[in-house]
Amino acid sequence: MIVKNIAYACLTQHCENGHEDKESINWIHNDLSETRFTYGEFERESNQIAHILKDLGVQAQEVVSIFLPRSPKLITSFFGIQKLQAMSCILFSTLGEDALLDRLGNSQAKVIITKNSLVRKILAIKDQLPELGKILVVDKEEHRDDFILSLLALLKNADTDFEYPHQVDGEMPAFLQYTSGSTGKPKGALHVHGAIQDIIQSFQEIIKPEADDLYWCTADPAWITGLSYGIIAPLSTITDSIQFSGTYNADHWLKILKDKQVNIWYTAPTALRMLMQEDDEKFVAIRSNSLKRIYSVGEPLNPEIYHWGKKVFSTEVYDNWFQSETGSIMIANRPGLAVKPGSMGKPRSGIEVFILDDDMQARPVGLQGHLTLRKGWRSMFRTYFHKEDAYADKFRGEYYITGDLAYQDEEGYFWYVSRSDDVINTAGHLVGPFEVESALLEIDEIADAAVIGADDPLLHKKIVAYIVLPEEVKWDRTLELKCRIYISNKVSTVAIPSEFIITGKIPKNQSGKILRRVLKAYYEGEDPGDISTME
Amino acid sequence: MAITEKLTQVFREVFDDDTLVLTDEMTADDVDAWDSLSHVNLMIAIEIAFGIEFKQNEIQSFANVGELRQGIEEKLGK
Repeated sequence: MIVKNIAYACLTQHCENGHEDKESINWIHNDLSETRFTYGEFERESNQIAHILKDLGVQAQEVVSIFLPRSPKLITSFFGIQKLQAMSCILFSTLGEDALLDRLGNSQAKVIITKNSLVRKILAIKDQLPELGKILVVDKEEHRDDFILSLLALLKNADTDFEYPHQVDGEMPAFLQYTSGSTGKPKGALHVHGAIQDIIQSFQEIIKPEADDLYWCTADPAWITGLSYGIIAPLSTITDSIQFSGTYNADHWLKILKDKQVNIWYTAPTALRMLMQEDDEKFVAIRSNSLKRIYSVGEPLNPEIYHWGKKVFSTEVYDNWFQSETGSIMIANRPGLAVKPGSMGKPRSGIEVFILDDDMQARPVGLQGHLTLRKGWRSMFRTYFHKEDAYADKFRGEYYITGDLAYQDEEGYFWYVSRSDDVINTAGHLVGPFEVESALLEIDEIADAAVIGADDPLLHKKIVAYIVLPEEVKWDRTLELKCRIYISNKVSTVAIPSEFIITGKIPKNQSGKILRRVLKAYYEGEDPGDISTME
Repeated sequence: MAITEKLTQVFREVFDDDTLVLTDEMTADDVDAWDSLSHVNLMIAIEIAFGIEFKQNEIQSFANVGELRQGIEEKLGK
């Protein structure tokens, strides 16, 4: 099927249709100052970046990584890559060296677009990235050397016109979205240009922006929500939107909601839980504003938060569910469908959802099983990049196994139960225990380690690390700090354990595999059940 | 060792960046990876380095590095 190139759908076609000078995104900086970008400005700079990448030798279908905090250059870089028909891979700017190496190594990125202060992280692992040709720095006026180039300097001489095929094969790869697994390294879910059809359809069906609505999605574009619904959906549908460079800050967020008169707000349960800790008085000032609806995604929105949000914002809160692999919203609460607080809602049109047992047989209503989707929707990931076996493992015949457990009630609503694997959903980020354990084991003082997720009222799941120390090593605050800093800088800040528990031995089976269910049972004070396979 | 010098060392260790130069106006937005999660690391590191303790309500109260430095000075009685 022939589809519009994502960049054409989001920028070029609007310029062709007379919207070149229309505001695309009102960018709110950390200090709350604003810059308004038109479609024409994004179009021209993304053309320039396409030229620059082409001149650097980037070929179609090669990977260009964007390692930046959310910023206008992230947007124009993404679309420049799309115009070149290369593949983009946006990475969280908080990733540590090990996590960065896993993702850049797997993607074999040819070029990395980043900021000056992040270059040191790349240089620390550069020797292990043989395919990396150049680093483009967005905030330096001059080239550092032949390897680290200034994007600003290159932009000065780059042509603002760029010819590219506006129509492409819908199966043409467009971007990679990395996600963590319970074992092994993170996997890059590959999405195609055809995904935009589902992103637009779901946006119109679930988010339902109307003309003149102002829309704000708080998700980082390194997250699938931030890319699909923070960038692609509003730009392709010419929906007025804002972006905020800063991270969570209650005062800033509430001020933006009020001052900008946001109509539709798409955020995350953890953000709502953090806001819930603020004084109710703060919300009185924004109660009369124009907020029509709130959407939430990332982890289950528990009824307590739902009722609180509905009360303080005087509007409905719609939770929904999707994954890096699904590319777009699959199950959702939305206008026109009565909300059952705590429920994921119902599938959007065209999406078939099933609750199946281990043998892929349907589970009765009300009983939990594997949350499963019939494969074939347009924004479905097409592979795990360079990990075809892991991709194949996610399917049984016609079914995509999501890795989540859920049940369906008698009225067709779906209810999330938990992950079916060991991946930890903490504040909406999926963290693989293997990544954290590997980092911990690199610390000299640690003999063994195992990581589990445990219930947490703020984060949904918190990371709990069980640590075994050699006899001569004593656990103290300094060693805990060393572990926290090491994980923060090697993996990510989101992977820092909330709790460290010193133990004499990690329960493992006779093959040496960590028995996390035993640790979880110990943590929760429950019977670990059958431990006959324990070493 | 002056407080600012010691504080700079702490920042460099916590954020693994030997090039960090502190200014009073510097905020979390100016330092990569300084978010609410690594802020806890920073506070623990400061408590250990300076031998002080922050109360829970103090931990999130510093608007910038200048206020943080002042907070440390007050704890040290300087």
